[in-house]
Amino acid sequence: MSILTSSDRVVGAASVGRTKRLRPSYWPFVVPALIVVIGVIVFPWVFTLWMSAMEWRIGEEQRFVGLQNYARLFTDVRFLEAMLHTLVYTALSVLAPLVLGTAAALAFNTKLPARGLLRGIFVMPMMATPVAIALVWTMMFHPQLGVLNYLLSLVGIGPLQWVYHPSTVILSLVLVETWQWTPLVMLIVLGGLAALPTEPYESAQIDGATAWQRFRYLTLPMIKPFLMVAVIIRSIDALKSFDILYTITQGGPGTASETINLYLYSVAFTYYDIGYGSAIAVVFFVLIIMLSLILLYLRQRSAWNTGDGQ
Amino acid sequence: MASVSIRNVRKSYGTVEIIKGVSIDIQDGEFVILVGPSGCGKSTLLRMIAGLEEISGGTVAIDDRVVNDVPPKDRDIAMVFQNYALYPHMTIADNMSFALRLKNTAKSEITAKVERAAGILGLGPLLGRFPRQLSGGQRQRVAMGRAIVRDPKVFLFDEPLSNLDAKLRVQMRTEIKEMHQRLKTTTVYVTHDQIEAMTMADKIVVMHDGIIEQIGAPLDLYDNPANMFVAGFIGSPAMNFIPGSIGGDGFTTEGGDRLPLGGRVPAASDGRPAVYGVRPEHFRLADDGMAAEVVVVEPTGSETQMVLRPLGAKAGREDRKRELTWVLRERTGAKPGEVVRIAPDPALAHLFNPDTGLRL
Repeated sequence: MSILTSSDRVVGAASVGRTKRLRPSYWPFVVPALIVVIGVIVFPWVFTLWMSAMEWRIGEEQRFVGLQNYARLFTDVRFLEAMLHTLVYTALSVLAPLVLGTAAALAFNTKLPARGLLRGIFVMPMMATPVAIALVWTMMFHPQLGVLNYLLSLVGIGPLQWVYHPSTVILSLVLVETWQWTPLVMLIVLGGLAALPTEPYESAQIDGATAWQRFRYLTLPMIKPFLMVAVIIRSIDALKSFDILYTITQGGPGTASETINLYLYSVAFTYYDIGYGSAIAVVFFVLIIMLSLILLYLRQRSAWNTGDGQ
Repeated sequence: MASVSIRNVRKSYGTVEIIKGVSIDIQDGEFVILVGPSGCGKSTLLRMIAGLEEISGGTVAIDDRVVNDVPPKDRDIAMVFQNYALYPHMTIADNMSFALRLKNTAKSEITAKVERAAGILGLGPLLGRFPRQLSGGQRQRVAMGRAIVRDPKVFLFDEPLSNLDAKLRVQMRTEIKEMHQRLKTTTVYVTHDQIEAMTMADKIVVMHDGIIEQIGAPLDLYDNPANMFVAGFIGSPAMNFIPGSIGGDGFTTEGGDRLPLGGRVPAASDGRPAVYGVRPEHFRLADDGMAAEVVVVEPTGSETQMVLRPLGAKAGREDRKRELTWVLRERTGAKPGEVVRIAPDPALAHLFNPDTGLRL
């Protein structure tokens, strides 16, 4: 095995033959990473795919059933409902922090008094443990003892059932998610705002743009790439949200807040139907990948400052 | 088109006064250049005319209307920035039409105005592109196009050529001058480059440390500088300043050389210390001139620039200040180390007060 020296690395196209001869010496460097990738990423997925093609209940004999588990998904009302809950929960958990985070970033981008301190306080929810947050919010949501209903009573609004009623449970959970993750969006957008050039704003002032028009025609399009990053991160995060949902509602009342993640958990670890659970996991994974690809494409399209994307 | 009247304008940031009472009258259609070294307040003054900086004292009037409290959009001005300040996410056509679209101008009128400006500046084929797809010179032209479509009363240029390379700068200089000759719009232009000022302006305002040193036509400033600052700032290479004293009908340098004054001796000035100012191109070879050693020879083709050290001066670091620059069109073949004898043209020389810097 030969050692690659710096002079070897700078050789040009003229010494292709020599580079070829050296190629086997690269392999030992790749092997450790390859083993880790195969063991940690590739194998679990191949194994999940294999499990999804089996009828596999813990304690029973395994049997190959092909695509039967996937066919079952289409007639499983609980799965379809969970899918709808997931989409609604994700859409709201992306939109609300996005709007509020952008507004907060715009506020923190001005010369507020004690801006640093306020910003520090604002990002605190993001640093807290989800389970701890969930427990605190569970207490706050309590219809009789919770502080939220008390606060509503101060402004003359009657008590709400919050997470204890099917019609308000998802909105209530979105409230928790929004509270925790608005700071993240704020930080991303604030970074974007800080990177914006200042001259176009002076130019727009001379061109006659009002404050709203400067936001609408300059700031918003120019921070779009940053908003798209926030949307990507938030979408993936909200889709795979589990801890807060499980701790506060376990998918209830009934199955009113059961997302795919929670349903998958029930199928696999409550009903021990590993094969069917794996099929749900595969479909869920494909959904996340597709959504990520679409968002990444949109992110690229929104870039005005790099490459030719527009 | 409009006149601009700046009356005793001041600008302070806290206790620091940046502009210390400046007054300029700019006539309708005039091309005025504010020139001076970095930090002299020229860009701040321009931004005050634009309305981008508050005025601490004095008044700015456009067409006899005081605009101190008028927002930029209502001043009917257009500004071209050093960094172009284009809207990076908009096409060139959108950049140029933005101001008109904000005013809800009719589409047909917008198209006509954009096409006219694009025609003037040769931007036609670039209208569908984005700023990042253009070169520096093209971006600067777009910035000018954006100003043209607004058809303003006053054009303001803030060091628009500073980000361009030397060749492009010369080309754009000509284009801006041509544009002014064609549109005849009142223009205020800021630069630190005195060549730009000399070649483009109808009137130059030389600023230094927040005050105006001199206002005048380019050649007037060149030929009759009011003080040593203007004399040294206008002209490249800079004017030679030779310290010494007035005596008899001539000038004696500190090194003991005699320089002619051509009968222009100020009254009662015998023995008075002074600074003799002579431009590099106003020396000539003369058998009775002062002897100087050639230090550096820099031929540029059309002319040769030489750095000379008068032999009367002592050698040493301090003497670098006494080195003289000579620019000549002839090719003398002089080499470093050789001695030449040169004399200034007394009719084109100036005398300055060494304490106040004012011309005597």
